[in-house]
Amino acid sequence: MIEDDIKSTQSEARHLDDFSVKQQDLEKPIPKYYGEALLSAARNDSSILALSADLTAPTETDLIRDYLPEQFIMAGIAEANMVGVGAGLARAGFTPFLHSFAVFLTRRSFDQIAMQVAYPKTNVKLIGFMPGIDSLLGVSHQAIDDIALMRALPNMVVLEPASPSDYQDAVKAALAHHGPVYLRLYRANTHSSNSADSPSWEIGKIRRLSNGSDAVIFATGLMVEIALQASQELKKYSINTTVVDCASIKPIDIDGILGEISKRKVVITAENHSIIGGLGSAISEIIATNNIARPFFRVGVQDCFAEGGSRGFLFRKYGLAADDIIKKVKQGLAN
Amino acid sequence: MKKDNRANSEQLAEWAKVIRKDVVQMVARHGQGYVQQGLGAADLFTYLYFQELRFDKTDLEWLDRDRFILSTAHNTAVFYATLARAGLMDPNRLSDYCLDGNSLEINASERLAPLVECTCGSLGQGLSVAAGIAMGFKRQQRDSNIYLMLGDGELEEGQVWEAAIFAATHKLSNLIMIIDLNYMQVEGDVRDVATIDPLDAKFRDFGWQTTVIDGHNFEDIFSSFEAAKKDTVRPSCIIANTIPGKGVPFLEGKKSHNMVLPERAALDALNWLEAKHD
Repeated sequence: MIEDDIKSTQSEARHLDDFSVKQQDLEKPIPKYYGEALLSAARNDSSILALSADLTAPTETDLIRDYLPEQFIMAGIAEANMVGVGAGLARAGFTPFLHSFAVFLTRRSFDQIAMQVAYPKTNVKLIGFMPGIDSLLGVSHQAIDDIALMRALPNMVVLEPASPSDYQDAVKAALAHHGPVYLRLYRANTHSSNSADSPSWEIGKIRRLSNGSDAVIFATGLMVEIALQASQELKKYSINTTVVDCASIKPIDIDGILGEISKRKVVITAENHSIIGGLGSAISEIIATNNIARPFFRVGVQDCFAEGGSRGFLFRKYGLAADDIIKKVKQGLAN
Repeated sequence: MKKDNRANSEQLAEWAKVIRKDVVQMVARHGQGYVQQGLGAADLFTYLYFQELRFDKTDLEWLDRDRFILSTAHNTAVFYATLARAGLMDPNRLSDYCLDGNSLEINASERLAPLVECTCGSLGQGLSVAAGIAMGFKRQQRDSNIYLMLGDGELEEGQVWEAAIFAATHKLSNLIMIIDLNYMQVEGDVRDVATIDPLDAKFRDFGWQTTVIDGHNFEDIFSSFEAAKKDTVRPSCIIANTIPGKGVPFLEGKKSHNMVLPERAALDALNWLEAKHD
C-alpha cells in the first residue's frame, strides 16, 4: 500500500462516513489494520471476495472496494441474505469474507450461519466489528453474546485477536483454515504489540504474555491489554500474575490452559462479552471437567444489557476495567 | 450432458405418473407424510429432471452441471422419486425413505450431496444461497443455470425478499426460481395467513422476469423455462399453479401439510394412478 494512495482515498467523503469510532482528528482517520491485511491477501488471491452489509468504512473494506473493486460486493442492509449469498459464493469456489458489526452478523443471521456455513463447512469467513459493549451506539449495536452463539456451532472457529498487530496473522490463519471462521475485531489507533517476544499466532494455541505465580488471567480481545495493565498494577502489591492471550476461543488450547492453571493459585477470565457462553464459560468447562479446584472469577458483562457510552465509562460501570480484574485477583488470593 | 431431444408431453406425463405412484408408496409406508405436495409438484419435478436440468449421470459432481436447490426441503418424496427415476439414484433406495440411519431423510440434507446442493428446510434460505452460486458462476463465466424451487408459504419469510432484491440488483439472469403455488401451508390456506398475491406483480416490480403458468401443463412449463433462459439481464420467477394431491381425484385440492395416508387410501390412490389415463 502506497502512503499517498491511502491519503487520497481517505479524503473521499464516503470514507469519512465512519460512525463506528469517534473521529478525534479528521486529518488522521483511524488506521485500517484489518483492511490492509485483507487487501494484501486479496491482491494475491482473486478468489477472496469482501462482502459488506452497508458498513464498508466501519469494517475497513473500503480498501477492497477502492483498490480491488472486482473483489468487492455490496450486499446491502440484509445480513441474513449476505450469509446465504456468501455460502453460495463459497460453493462456487470463492472465499467470501462477510462484514458487519458483530452483533448484526451473528444475531440476525444465526440460523443462516448454522445451516449454510457451519453445518456444510463452507469456506466462509465472518468478520464482526465493534465487539462487546465498546460502543457509543448503544445496546442495539453491542455484541455481548456473539462468541457464545458462534462457539456453540459445530465446525466454527472463533478468533478474537488481542490487538491490531495480530490482525494480519489472524487473516492469514483464517485463510489457511478451509472452513468457517468467526473473526471478532475491534478498531484501534495503535498498532502496539502486546507480545513482541511471545510465540507466533496460531489457531488452537494460547500465548503467555507475562509470567507470575500468584494468579493467571485468561483474556481475549482488547481485554488482553486491560489484563496487562492490571498485571502491572498488581506488581505494586507484590502480586505476580500470568496474562494469557486466548485469541483462539474455539478450538481452545485445553492442554495449554491446564498447564497455566496448574502453576497458579487463582484463575481469572476477562472478556468484552457476557460471562455466559464466552471465554469465561469455556475456561469454566475446562476447569470443571478436569477436577480442578481454584478460586475462579469471570470478568465480563454480568448477564445484563449495557448502554451507549465511551469505553472508559462503560468498562468501569459494567465491571470490565483493570480495577475489576485487580479486585478479583486480590479476592482470590485472600481466600 | 444436455438433453439431446425434447421429450413430448405424453412421455413426460408417463414419467410423472410413475413418480406419483412412488410418492404414494413412499409416504404410505409411514402412514403419513408429504404426499399432497409431492403429487402437486410431480409434473414440475418431472420436467426439471427429464427435460430441463443439465447433469451427467455418470459424474454427479460434474462442475458444469446445472444446480437445483429445493428450498422447501421437506418435499422429499417427489424429489427422491424423481432422482431415482431420472437415473441419479438407485430406485431400490426409495424403500429406505425416512428409515433411521438412512440418508434419505424427510428433510433433504447434504448427506445426499451433490444431489442435494445445500441444506434447506429452515425456510427462506434457499434463494440467498442460489443467488450466491449464481453470482459466483457469472464471475467465473460458467454457463450453468441455478434452479430453485420455493413454496408459497415460504414467501412469508423476509429473507426471500432480501434475496429477491439482491438477485435483481446483481442481474443474476442465470437464476431461475420456480414457486410451487399450491396455497398450502401448515396452518391451512396461505391466503388465510398472509396476503401474498398478486405474486406476479410483486416479482415483476422487484425486477424479475416473471411468468405465471399451470404447473401441470408441460407446454406451459416448457415455455416458461425458455422465456427464463432467453432473459440475459433479469433473474426469472416461474409462478406455477399446482393442485395438492394432483392425479388422485379424492386427494386433489385437499390441503394438508403432513397428511395421514391410511393403507386403504394409499391403495385407492395407487389404483387411480394405475387406471386413469388422460
